[in-house]
Amino acid sequence: MALTRIELAKYPFVLDAAEEVKRLDLDISNLENPNLKTIVDRAFNRIEEALATDPPRVSFRPGDEDKEIPSFPVAIILASATNNDYIKRRYALAEAVRAYDLLQFEDEKRIVEIVKVFNWKIRIHKQPVGNRRYDFALFFTHFLRNAEVFHEDEWKLVNRTMVNGEVFLNKREVARLIQEEVRRRIEKRFSVNVRQMLPEAILQRVDNLSKKYADRINQSRYTAFPKEVINEAFPPCIQIFYGSAKTGTHISHLGRFTLTSFLININMKSEDIVNLFRSSADFNERMTRYQVEHISGDRGSRTKYKSPTCETLKTHALCPGPDELCRTIRSPLRYYAKKTRMLKR
Amino acid sequence: MDNQTFIQQKFLEFYEESASKIEGPSSIRQREFGFMIFKENMMVRHKSFDTVDALRTFIKENAPAHAYHSTAYYETPEVKMEDKGWLGADLYFDIDADHIATKCKEIHDSWTCKDCGFAGKGQPDTCPACGSKRFDQRIWPCDICLNSAKKETIKLVEMLMEEFGFSSSEVTVSFSGHRGYHVHVTNEAVRELDAGARKEMVDYITGTGLNASFFSSAVGAFRLSSKTSVSALDDVGWRGRMVRGAYDFLFSATIQNLMDLGIKEKRANEIILNKQAILNNWKREGPWRPMRMMGKEELRVILDYVIEVQSAKIDTMVTTDIHRLIRLPNSLHGKTGWLKVCFPVSHIDSFDPLKSAVAFKKGTVTIYVEESPKFRLGDEWFGEYERQKVELPMAAAIFLLCKDVARLVG
Repeated sequence: MALTRIELAKYPFVLDAAEEVKRLDLDISNLENPNLKTIVDRAFNRIEEALATDPPRVSFRPGDEDKEIPSFPVAIILASATNNDYIKRRYALAEAVRAYDLLQFEDEKRIVEIVKVFNWKIRIHKQPVGNRRYDFALFFTHFLRNAEVFHEDEWKLVNRTMVNGEVFLNKREVARLIQEEVRRRIEKRFSVNVRQMLPEAILQRVDNLSKKYADRINQSRYTAFPKEVINEAFPPCIQIFYGSAKTGTHISHLGRFTLTSFLININMKSEDIVNLFRSSADFNERMTRYQVEHISGDRGSRTKYKSPTCETLKTHALCPGPDELCRTIRSPLRYYAKKTRMLKR
Repeated sequence: MDNQTFIQQKFLEFYEESASKIEGPSSIRQREFGFMIFKENMMVRHKSFDTVDALRTFIKENAPAHAYHSTAYYETPEVKMEDKGWLGADLYFDIDADHIATKCKEIHDSWTCKDCGFAGKGQPDTCPACGSKRFDQRIWPCDICLNSAKKETIKLVEMLMEEFGFSSSEVTVSFSGHRGYHVHVTNEAVRELDAGARKEMVDYITGTGLNASFFSSAVGAFRLSSKTSVSALDDVGWRGRMVRGAYDFLFSATIQNLMDLGIKEKRANEIILNKQAILNNWKREGPWRPMRMMGKEELRVILDYVIEVQSAKIDTMVTTDIHRLIRLPNSLHGKTGWLKVCFPVSHIDSFDPLKSAVAFKKGTVTIYVEESPKFRLGDEWFGEYERQKVELPMAAAIFLLCKDVARLVG
């Protein structure tokens, strides 16, 4: 049961992009060819739609398959050429959301056909499982690969029905997992060095697009922490680790890592962190200094480590139980950012 | 001769004969190995071997106190961590009696305060003499502790096979050689799972984040009408486990059992009085909704208790760490002189670690024992001993020497 041309226009990600580009003679360096203008225009338009809508969504234009299908791989190239992570992420999400919307109207057989390209182990399953009825059964690793980034409790494996390696799902849920798979796959397709291959005129249009949305792009989610460390703004977990470190009580490896990376991120001086661990039973100044410098990125892999999220601390039984503010955040660092702002007011 | 020299001597003799029994992990060329060498008392990491014979020769020559291999597969396992090139990792679970509360720890585990020198039994939070929280601890493996670890292992294996769908040929269980069990899953599909996906598996097994309200409303699924539905007791996965757990608990619960969970006496009385009606309702509907006889809060504490009982107490760090080193099967454990032994899942009920893991079966040796609780090895019981000279079979003597509670005599 092959997909029709209309379906390919709806779900262009199922096509081998390289094949499609070759078929239409879509040479990257040749994108200014007037014959391709309508395709290139639609490609730019796809990205613009992604940036102009909220939640981001690329439109579906039935009856225009010859433009719809090839403009997708071209848009990926153009988005790559912006070298801008915000635009790239936003575009990938918008295409994925579009797929989610369209999938709602497909029957189960079509959906199975569409996901063949992902190599998912999935089958239609309508018989009752225990006291419930579902639409699909999906192998658990393929479920996890996409659901692990969702934060809602309903997506946790422990809250799902799973038998014999299969997770049972309804159609909407499968569409949501496909959305995530599509998003990830598009992000993987963004290549780094497309700029030197693109003709000048196309590059000009790419840069104009970047400029047009520059203000949005600069809206970074990064928040600076105060210069001084404010102990009263520590979340409950950090308060406990901090207290234990001060009194020399044993802290688990992950607890120690959480505390150290947290303190580094909120601008505590390395010297002060080393001193904090001084009363621990097995304190070794050289070792402690080494670890602190490693976590702060002054050594080794040169990456500054973020402290673990609430989810991770819960898994390892290091979350002492949330307070009111905890319920609104997902990591100790966000707690600190919020609390310091509240204290200032 | 000092203890360590003697132990290493015995390890050398053992491996001279038995190193050939070491199989080594699959794809040996892609594994990192690590060893704790007696004399240096430090870890040698980032070793790699081309063949299992090379591994056996290394062990025969060095007789390490501990031998480990990576759960991961690497492109070049011998280079430093950042450059190894991670290709995937087997799935491992570790169940250690240390993580399970057993009453016998009050009898056989002991501690000494690092600050004031005060000593006692069990596992205290703070030193009763000086309030310090820093201890030297001596932990002891015993039948009760090992049995409790085995019970957790059985729960884990059931979930792995029934819910995760692994076959008995993909799941290997082993006794760690000290206080617990390892469960090893070899399945192509799990190799590539990242730490995040493994964390979700861990949360499933430990019941972390389990939200029973999803079981009443059913996440995005249609609930069958009660006419066609099966008994809630026969439901699948965690939902079925929760129904059966809650049913069994309440079936045999006393007022005191309920009060132990923090339910007030008056409410506990009412629940016991209406026990049969509640059980009948649970059998039909599952224990998801509060009712006149059982309020929201009472239901919550009972379900929390059921999760606690039904989950398997695994070491969460071991499974989520995709660069972990794990003890090599058929190698000796330097803290006991026992072997890490693997066995098929189907043997778990009858498996006796204190029999199967005994490595030193010949000869006797006389040692002076400072202090030792009673313990069993094979079919024989030893101790307890307190400041006395005693001639023991080799395995028992080496165990006490490894535990550092005895020294050689003469």
